[in-house]
Amino acid sequence: METQTTLTGLAEAIDLGVMDPSAAEFFETPGGFTGLRYNGVEYKRVSLRRAMPIAEPSGYISVADHENKEICVIRSLSDLSGGQLRIVSGELDRRYYCPEIAEIKSVKDKMGYVYMELRVTGRGRIYDKNCAVKDVNRNIRMLGDDRLLIFDADGNRYIVPSLAALDKKSVRRLEPYLF
Amino acid sequence: MSEVYTFAYDLDDAMRPCGGSLRFSRDGRVSALLDGVVLFGLDLDGAEEASVLAGVGCGLVFLKGKDGEERVLCRFSMSGLVPAGEFCKVVNYYIQTGTAVIPDEKEERVCAKCGKPLMEGMSVCLFCYNRTSLIKRVFALLRPFWRTMVTTQAFMALSSVLYLLVPLFNRILIDRYLEPMTGPAAHVLMLAGAMLLARSLGEVIFVLSSRVYNRASIGFANHLRTLAYDKLQRLSMNSLSKRTPGDLIRRVMEDTNTIKDFITDMGRWGLEQAVMFIIVLTILLFTNPWLTLLVFLPIPVVAVAMSRFWNFIQIRYERQWRRSSRCNSILHDIIKGIRTVKAFGNEDREIQKFAYETRKLAEVSSSNERLWALLFPSMVFFTGIGEFLVLYFGSDSILKGGLSVGVLVQFTMYITYVYAPLRWLVSFPRWLADAMTSMVKVFEILDEEPDIQGKEEPEDVPLTGGVRFDGVSFGYKSYEPVLKDVSLEIRPGEMIGVVGKSGAGKSTLINLLMRLYDPNAGSVRISGADLRDMSPRHLHENVGVVFQDTFLFAGTVYDNIAYAKPGASAEEVIMAAKAGGAHDFIIAMPDGYNTFIGENGHTISGGERQRLAIARAVIKDPPILIFDEATSSLDVETEAAIQDSLQKLTKGRTTIAIAHRLSTLRAADRLIVLDKGRIAEMGTHVELLKRKGIYYNLVIAQRQTGKRA
Repeated sequence: METQTTLTGLAEAIDLGVMDPSAAEFFETPGGFTGLRYNGVEYKRVSLRRAMPIAEPSGYISVADHENKEICVIRSLSDLSGGQLRIVSGELDRRYYCPEIAEIKSVKDKMGYVYMELRVTGRGRIYDKNCAVKDVNRNIRMLGDDRLLIFDADGNRYIVPSLAALDKKSVRRLEPYLF
Repeated sequence: MSEVYTFAYDLDDAMRPCGGSLRFSRDGRVSALLDGVVLFGLDLDGAEEASVLAGVGCGLVFLKGKDGEERVLCRFSMSGLVPAGEFCKVVNYYIQTGTAVIPDEKEERVCAKCGKPLMEGMSVCLFCYNRTSLIKRVFALLRPFWRTMVTTQAFMALSSVLYLLVPLFNRILIDRYLEPMTGPAAHVLMLAGAMLLARSLGEVIFVLSSRVYNRASIGFANHLRTLAYDKLQRLSMNSLSKRTPGDLIRRVMEDTNTIKDFITDMGRWGLEQAVMFIIVLTILLFTNPWLTLLVFLPIPVVAVAMSRFWNFIQIRYERQWRRSSRCNSILHDIIKGIRTVKAFGNEDREIQKFAYETRKLAEVSSSNERLWALLFPSMVFFTGIGEFLVLYFGSDSILKGGLSVGVLVQFTMYITYVYAPLRWLVSFPRWLADAMTSMVKVFEILDEEPDIQGKEEPEDVPLTGGVRFDGVSFGYKSYEPVLKDVSLEIRPGEMIGVVGKSGAGKSTLINLLMRLYDPNAGSVRISGADLRDMSPRHLHENVGVVFQDTFLFAGTVYDNIAYAKPGASAEEVIMAAKAGGAHDFIIAMPDGYNTFIGENGHTISGGERQRLAIARAVIKDPPILIFDEATSSLDVETEAAIQDSLQKLTKGRTTIAIAHRLSTLRAADRLIVLDKGRIAEMGTHVELLKRKGIYYNLVIAQRQTGKRA
């Protein structure tokens, strides 16, 4: 008979720290932040950070205290009950801001920088935004075949949720920078 | 001075875009307005600190009260990040000192002229940069080369004129001698000789003058490059770290070259072609205005078509350029990380990845070449239609007796001289744009004022080693202070150990002492003199430093140690090496001190690198020594050996050492514990242990890991 040595797997060795939804209670503070009571401890300000903001925005959300020390990880937003979900999504919405591009009105490539006049939708409001993109190779990023992220020089980000759904003129203006 | 300091925020509480303003007024109140309505007003009496919290694509300003309560003041998109940081600074200064200082000028991130956003790392607006002033400045730089260039250009123009004589001779040959078939052979021979002479003389003049011209333009490029590099060395860490190494290399090497090419080609071809064009046009008009008109008939159509196509082609070539740059960067990456690739057995995956990219590049290039191969000949053909028209109507005229054969031949020969400059003109705007881009980039470097300024008349008092930090605050980004109100006095000859978690501000303390950055508030003094009042050179001669990441230059071991003291004697170098514990391993190498170490010392181990760096720091015998994790790559035994020799050396010298391994600091007279940018504890090892604070916990933690190991 072969003797088997037991190997400790990664999953046994490392605790992912998944939150127990029944022991957690998120609340809104009067100052406008989100707090958490978890396992008998109260945190007055927590920050919620998506582990994979692009690939999996509603899964693996790290909950950390005001010093950015991780308290636990929400495996999926669907684990949360209605009221809790509302608070958590609200906080995520306030931490991640990425308006959608509704129209690209003009693109000018000038001296190594790309200057864009955009029409964007931010939380339901449509407005115009001008932005400058530096190093287009890195800052205009295709996410798969149809989605697109643009980072401007200030650090703002804009998303095109679907290139196919964007009007033809806008796509044509953007075309030279996609590959 | 204004009464209110305002920060315009652009997102409301529900993160909808809005136009709000956060105001701080002289009486110490902060209020928020949204669409003309006051949302709230707060007294700063109970406040402790205002801070910025950056999210992703947005951020917020919040106020922390003395009771620990935190309150969001406003939210903003990333465009507001820097001004929000400035706002917090103003508010915090009031909270700390009780006086409101309202700065008049805000650092604008948009162009004052056109309101468009400024690019990161750029201080001029690309849209408003004055073109004529740019070109004027380039010409000013050209001044030393001016005379040579103009003279040689005149000669080049002369050589073109000589070329232009040939068709003229042709006409005489045909009309006077060949067609009437009367000319004496000697005259024909003379004409042929004259043609040959004009051609060869033109050629010789051209070769000689372009040689001189090239030398001048290369001299100009060299001049420009040296200027740019010189400036680069003088810029502060602050401005250098805003740009990537690739960006800077590009500016110094490629952009200066683009400008040179532009000047050279402009000077050589531009002037020559212009002279040719004017002369030929005059000749043509005088000879036969009707035929001249025919020559130019297709030009407007072609010009319009060309400029249309250029945009189209430019986009395609841009894409090709990007593809190729992507291939380059993959290659660069993989070659640098080849050890990792092999260690994980990922060769096949990397081959596939690269093959995919090169295939894409090949596709784009071949499609571009196909297009170009179609477009260019068609352009040439359409431009040449004028030639056919001239031939047809010219021959018609000859047959009707209105024109001589010689004139037609001369005409067709001159036509080529007209088309060349026209084609050149079509591509000129694109070319000018390229050169302009480079000019802006180079001048940006040349114009940048180093923000670490040497004083006009520095007072270089002898530095004996006493160091004082007076209320120093500093942050690499204005909204994120790394050091907060640090005050510290170090006596001459004292050895200070600095401990603290990563990110506590230890290395920043050193950076300020080396004056790689200037503090935002407070002052750093050595021997009573403010660092800002002495020349940087004087400071660096008196401070020896070993950084955490030691950098060695390509060169010999000897060169690397003597780097800090050019002209050091062999004896000094060996002594320094011994002090740094490097002598033993150096002497064991076949070439000893003359061993060549490659770029960044890849050929020697990490520990050896650190020992060389210590030798480099001590060779100039400075009164102040700084060790930033200088012995972290060494094993405990070697570290102990070096410490013994260093201890002799550090006696009587002010020494500041940062270390994670606390045993490294056992010889320190005093220890400073930094925590979140502030001095949390200060005292001797024993004193701090008794306090049972942060230091005590660090010691216990290290002892436990030590025991476990």
